[in-house]
Amino acid sequence: MTRLRHFAPSIVAGACVAIYLFPLYWMAISGFKTQAEIFADPPSFFPRAPTLDAFRHVVQNENMPRYLRNSIVIALPVALVTVALSATGAYAMRRLRTRLIDATLIAVLLLQVFPEALLATPVFIICKALGLLNSYVAVVLATSARAVAFGLVILRPMFHQVPLELEEASRVDGCTEWQTFSRIVLPLMRVPLMVLGAITFAQAYGQFVYPLTLLNRQELQPGTVGIYSFIGTEIADWHRIMAFAAIFVLPILLLFVLLQRQIVSGLTAGALK
Amino acid sequence: MLYLFGMIGIPIIYNLAMSVQDVNLGNIASFARPFVGLDNFTDALADPVFRKVFRNSAVFVMVNVIGQVGIGTIAAACFAGGFPGAATMRGLLLAAWILPGLVVGTVWKWMFATQYGVVNFVLAAIDVIGTPVHWLSDPSASMTALNIAHIWFGMPFSMILVAAALTNIPNELYEAAALDGAGPLRRFRYITVPAIAPALFAIACLVTIASLRAFDVIFALTQGGPLNSTNVLPLLSYQASFQDFQFGRGAAIGSFAFVIVFGVALVYVRTLRSEQPA
Repeated sequence: MTRLRHFAPSIVAGACVAIYLFPLYWMAISGFKTQAEIFADPPSFFPRAPTLDAFRHVVQNENMPRYLRNSIVIALPVALVTVALSATGAYAMRRLRTRLIDATLIAVLLLQVFPEALLATPVFIICKALGLLNSYVAVVLATSARAVAFGLVILRPMFHQVPLELEEASRVDGCTEWQTFSRIVLPLMRVPLMVLGAITFAQAYGQFVYPLTLLNRQELQPGTVGIYSFIGTEIADWHRIMAFAAIFVLPILLLFVLLQRQIVSGLTAGALK
Repeated sequence: MLYLFGMIGIPIIYNLAMSVQDVNLGNIASFARPFVGLDNFTDALADPVFRKVFRNSAVFVMVNVIGQVGIGTIAAACFAGGFPGAATMRGLLLAAWILPGLVVGTVWKWMFATQYGVVNFVLAAIDVIGTPVHWLSDPSASMTALNIAHIWFGMPFSMILVAAALTNIPNELYEAAALDGAGPLRRFRYITVPAIAPALFAIACLVTIASLRAFDVIFALTQGGPLNSTNVLPLLSYQASFQDFQFGRGAAIGSFAFVIVFGVALVYVRTLRSEQPA
């Protein structure tokens, strides 16, 4: 009885979490259904005869592999650029404490909040003028510009935790600024940088507005745009759309499960400090 | 020293590039077309659709702030109980937040389907509704559907931030209150809420900014329809630019929304500064 009391809150909370994540479950199992079962009334909460047909269909006929590849081709450089620029930027911001830096920080905070959908218009015009339409360079630059601002916000408090004595000691030992940064500070920041990379990757992977506006050749478009055009053309094929969505989110869900603890602590440190 | 300037130069140049984008927004009309002054603004403001969309944005943001922060606070307080597995379960909820907004919108679109959607099925099964609700095609229901989907998407993020604020409250306060005979609800009301009020305000600002940014979920779920009942400012700006190809008008609507976002962002920055003078 005491045992039951001990675990009762966990069981209740577990049930709540399960209900909350029901949309994810629904997405996944809808993909395992046949078209007949999708339109069954009442709907089945467990697929009666699970089949991989929908998954096979999106891989073979809907260019799923190409969409996945495009999404990763966009997200990886965005994550790398963001981590590199945010790390150097956050370090510089810590070392030089002047009024200029304070102003920069506020500017960065403000820049971080602007909606992509609003920026899409000017970015589109700029890229058109520069002849960058239909190139990944444009999408990567536009996406990472926002991500760097987010990265600075998240990383700055982390960099503040490195004791100044450590850096002074390394300088006394004859290290240059760059050596101090790359040999002393970076290794200490391994986990936050990894978290930032993971979050940026996930967000760039799910980026929709920029690819939609900047890439109009279908073979270049990432999975988000793919799902969207899929809804447009085959509104009745929900099992296939859900199969597409399930495959598409699998990489970031895996990434999330692997780094869950670090992501949670990284987010809380950055957003409120 | 030179290197330091290089390192700090990079983000600043980056910022410059970004602010150029922002600046361009206001004067795109004079960039490639004849100068039209404030016509785009007055046109946009005079449009009844714009006013409707503006109202929608206000409602959407308000419901989302109350919903996300409210539910997030309650959830965070429940998980703060420290029962086995609490931290892991709390983290799992964040899975909803990490998903691409477009996928979230798509999944909810399927769940909100009138005839075969699981939402209508469950509501009918527990006798809440008699006839199926046309969630996405009835202008009076569509905003509710959108709010539910968007609160689902954003709540875990608020919850994690509230949870972080909760850990700063000393346990002694609760123990003292418990000794004085305060039940869990009163402890929540008189200790938890006042203690995290400043943090809640900062989180509310963040949610406001995030809701003003909402695009992907709406785009996948309703496209702003039916009859613009779920249209919001960023989406309207996008439609003006990329569907009607009136870039000037899109930019004007955009600039208008920028001012609002900018105002909220200033409040947020100010809150952070006053919270910890450093």
